Amino acid sequence: MKILYSWLSDFLENPPTPEDMAAKLNRIGLKVEGLHKTGASFSGVCVGQIMKIDKHPNADKLALVDVHDGQATMRVVCGAKNIAVGQKIPFAKVGALLSEGELKKAKIRGVDSEGMICSAGELGLEGYDNSGILVLSPDAQVGADAATLFPRADSVLEIEMLPNLGYCLSHYAIARELALFYGLKFKEAAVPAIESAGCAVPVEVKVPDLCLRYGAIVIKGVKGARTPEWMAARLRAMGSNPKGNLLIDGSNYVMYELGQPTHCFDIAKLSGPKIIVRRALPGEMLKTLDGQDLKLDPGMMVIADSSKPVALAGVMGGADSAVSDETDAILIESAKFKPSNVRLASKASGIKSESSYRFERGVDSELPVKAARRLAGLILEAAPGARVEQVTDNYPVKYQTPVIEVDPAKVNAILGTGLADGVIYSCLKAFQPDLKDSRPWKFSVPSYRLDIESVYDVAEEVARYSGYDVIPSVSNMPMRPSTVTPLWTVTTELRNTLAALGFSEAYNYDFVSAKELKACGVDEAAALEVKNPLSSDYQYLRPTLLPGLLKTLRYNLNRGRETALFFEAGTAYARKDAGKAEEVYCAGLAYGPIPEGGSWQGGSAPADFYVLKGVMNRLFAGRSGFRYEKPRKAPAYFQPGLCLEMKLGGGSAGHLGRLAPAVCAGADLKDNNLFYFEIPLSCLAVAGKTEFWQKIAKIKQVSAFPQNWRDLSLVLEEKHEWGELERAFSGVQDLASARLVDVYKGKNIPAGFRSLTIRFTFSSMAATLNDAEVGARMTAVLEKLTKNFGARLRA
Amino acid sequence: MNATDWKGKLSAIRDSFSVSIAQKPAGDPEALELRFLGRKGELALLLRDLKDIPLEERKPLGALGNTAKQEMEAKLAELKGSAPAAASVAAPGLDLTLPGRPFPKGSLHPLTHVMNRLAEGFLKLGFSMSDGPLVEDDYHNFEALNFPQYHPARDMQDTFYVDAKDASDKFMLLRTHTSPVQIRSMERAEPPIRVFHTGRVFRSEAVDASHSFAFHQIEGLYVDKGVSMADLKWTADAFMKDLFGSGVKTRFNPSYFPFVEPGAEVDMSCVFCRTGERCPVCKGTGWLELMGAGMVHPNVLKGCKYDPAKWSGFAFGGGIERFAMLLYGISDMRMLYENDLRILKQVQ
Repeated sequence: MKILYSWLSDFLENPPTPEDMAAKLNRIGLKVEGLHKTGASFSGVCVGQIMKIDKHPNADKLALVDVHDGQATMRVVCGAKNIAVGQKIPFAKVGALLSEGELKKAKIRGVDSEGMICSAGELGLEGYDNSGILVLSPDAQVGADAATLFPRADSVLEIEMLPNLGYCLSHYAIARELALFYGLKFKEAAVPAIESAGCAVPVEVKVPDLCLRYGAIVIKGVKGARTPEWMAARLRAMGSNPKGNLLIDGSNYVMYELGQPTHCFDIAKLSGPKIIVRRALPGEMLKTLDGQDLKLDPGMMVIADSSKPVALAGVMGGADSAVSDETDAILIESAKFKPSNVRLASKASGIKSESSYRFERGVDSELPVKAARRLAGLILEAAPGARVEQVTDNYPVKYQTPVIEVDPAKVNAILGTGLADGVIYSCLKAFQPDLKDSRPWKFSVPSYRLDIESVYDVAEEVARYSGYDVIPSVSNMPMRPSTVTPLWTVTTELRNTLAALGFSEAYNYDFVSAKELKACGVDEAAALEVKNPLSSDYQYLRPTLLPGLLKTLRYNLNRGRETALFFEAGTAYARKDAGKAEEVYCAGLAYGPIPEGGSWQGGSAPADFYVLKGVMNRLFAGRSGFRYEKPRKAPAYFQPGLCLEMKLGGGSAGHLGRLAPAVCAGADLKDNNLFYFEIPLSCLAVAGKTEFWQKIAKIKQVSAFPQNWRDLSLVLEEKHEWGELERAFSGVQDLASARLVDVYKGKNIPAGFRSLTIRFTFSSMAATLNDAEVGARMTAVLEKLTKNFGARLRA
Repeated sequence: MNATDWKGKLSAIRDSFSVSIAQKPAGDPEALELRFLGRKGELALLLRDLKDIPLEERKPLGALGNTAKQEMEAKLAELKGSAPAAASVAAPGLDLTLPGRPFPKGSLHPLTHVMNRLAEGFLKLGFSMSDGPLVEDDYHNFEALNFPQYHPARDMQDTFYVDAKDASDKFMLLRTHTSPVQIRSMERAEPPIRVFHTGRVFRSEAVDASHSFAFHQIEGLYVDKGVSMADLKWTADAFMKDLFGSGVKTRFNPSYFPFVEPGAEVDMSCVFCRTGERCPVCKGTGWLELMGAGMVHPNVLKGCKYDPAKWSGFAFGGGIERFAMLLYGISDMRMLYENDLRILKQVQ
């Protein structure tokens, strides 16, 4: 919110400087996000007129300009391009005070300059074209003080208004805070004592639970009340656009000044004339000031005349009862509406206004009539013929000031301070000068502080009053063992392993589009939909991490990358009726030659299924019960037949495989060799299984005797998978490992067959095996392979 | 062959070598090398015969053979006209400046790095890790955290809703902060409790250099008997010093979060300031606003069935992206979600 320094100073005797004020406000939690100067702070500048322009004898880009200041003509050197004879311009004479300091007599390229034609910047004016000199209105009077053409010098403080600061939404309120917390002398607002017993417009409040107070002042003979220039200037500085009609501008002015929204109805346009505060009837309509035709519902409170709604209470007035330049009789409304109802109406109507903003945050119950009088006073000043015909204050249930019993020990216990009782007492006394010093202190919360409800709130005020630095940094917190979650443990393990293997971690958004889901063959009906997405690109919550990783892949390939090894650990979402709603996955992609760029010692090979399988072996190394299985049903984005399911014990540990050609096609790749894995981390993050000591496998003893190895090259039909052969090796005596070292098809191998070369390593715990013993074991292996798979030795 | 025979043969070879090398003009050194020292040279063959000699006698003979070999090598080298220079032996034509074999590294995302480090900071202070869902209900995200239904505090956090309803028939939402985990932690355990949580949160905001509709937070909660704002200050200070060094200072400023009272904003003295210029990081203020904090609001404690007369607590936390952007010198938050390998691979 913008706050004008000059306006704030209306309520403070001896106000501090703007900079000091900003520092003081910051310290009490009113964060000043910006402080800048506005208006004319220069002096010694008059309106001049350009009479003649000559070339500078010694410089192409400079001109010699004759300027008339109403009395004399002076010659100045000027470098601006936008000068023209006849222009009215701000002319600074020697000695003028400009934004850069005092103007001194100068000789420019050998020519004396008797002053300066100024730009907006040189005058310290913001918000004007600063590309050349500032050209003034042709109406400006030559010789007049140029400063009078601009708003007066002022400072604007931009204050961040957190939702609890409903009591700070005006100049008056912020001055009150400064006065209270810094002991400055506060000056009350100029509110005339306006009374009248008349009753031109009866006011009836039918919903006293929603309209807590309704103040109204009726004034007649207001026609022609124009906004004074000083008020218009302040409104402009606030970023508001004054209309010139005091009935409108004055209402805004009082709101910025006191924080109380008011509204003026044109009595001639009220049927009755009468004011009824009630709930809207079903189906009622209201054309609001901003031109909307609003359909009302009974949840909304309206101001009505005897026949129809004329305003949505606290939110916006109606167009049909609005004041105009022809208006002669008005009713000033200044009320307190229930904050939650105004918020509800604002949300339901979609209208946010300065008024609803303040009512939602809660206005001071003591303010409505005061604000109405302030506005009436401003109108009466501008319209001498105006007369007050009614002052109404409908306030059936007076606001009860909450009283909080304050024990200074409790305040100190909350803050961890050792503040003397007197310090705490003087803080409370600043709020409530008549506070009696008898224990327990009975602290009456001011009516404007709707946020103070308990001693915790009082403690905060004491801390603000003393400065938050009064809170010491000490603790005798007991030691406590800390634990991590199983999910974090496994996620960290997988992340570290993948990073060590050359994979880079990606972070993608959780939102995906229907198009992205379709490209992955995922049915959008199974995905959880966002009800209010930012755009259709972000309509669903990802049911798999694949779309984000594909996007990551494309992004990098488009930037000249050939190889992409990526992973991501993140949440995937499902509709709740589809089982588990959220699952954290670790998923990854491999594409392109590995290692990227190869090496001078040898090239690189394209990523393939076995690269990822090797990576999976590393990720699951040492986890008992890990194995691969052919999936009965794999996710649709995998190419059928080129996908394996990982198993851990009885449960699934995810899938790996080649992505289906349709998925690759959408990714716009050179080839379809794109491989993907995904692991649901709940299979690993089993409580109690991730602790350090449990993950440690006992060391197996190794043989003291040398090992022997033999290679066997076999030819067998291709239909026999390596996995089947591998299983056949179990039970072979002293066999330490059977490692596949070559797979060959082609010359000398019949079609439908392949050759496998396997290295068998034997090791006995008891002795060195001799040739004959190893030979016997190899014979047994070969016999078994021949019998089971029809394998024969390769010639 | 026995040891004596072997010695005799060795002697003969040495003699023969001496004669050959002494000839004038000298013989071809390469040929001599091949004849005596080559793989099938006379000496090599003799050394191979050692295997037939009993083990206990073999060792001294081997030594003799080696000595002879070294003598012959030295003499041959002399003949070649060059003493064996260490360098030429070590690197005949080996360009040691060629690149090593690549073992390309991957990388952890900068946010992971920072999150892990912040988590470590909490763990050191005795805070245990806690968890909660990303799709939350209104109660845990707002109501229990003292954001009443029609309160403007809800405007602080623009919310995404999803097409699923909670038990009280309200639409579920994407959590707007990590604070619901405070509630879930207190619901799960009796006091005292000291936990922290880090994870992703969502706000319905347009994306720009400093805003994102998905980002990350970390926050800690401590509830015990007699916990005060001084404990909070000490903890926040210890946490900051752990991350940014013992030289940093922290300060509190009044602030507002519905679920704490009193509330504070935690500033840290700027560690990026260099003398002689206006610091672009802290904008010359000397302070960086890093976290929000405060004493757990009694309404929040009550809602979790913790008696505020008996227990008090503090909570503090902040945005991970903010820390990451400061630490890595990133000025545009969007960079963290582009996953550009040229950027990611820089993260060590």
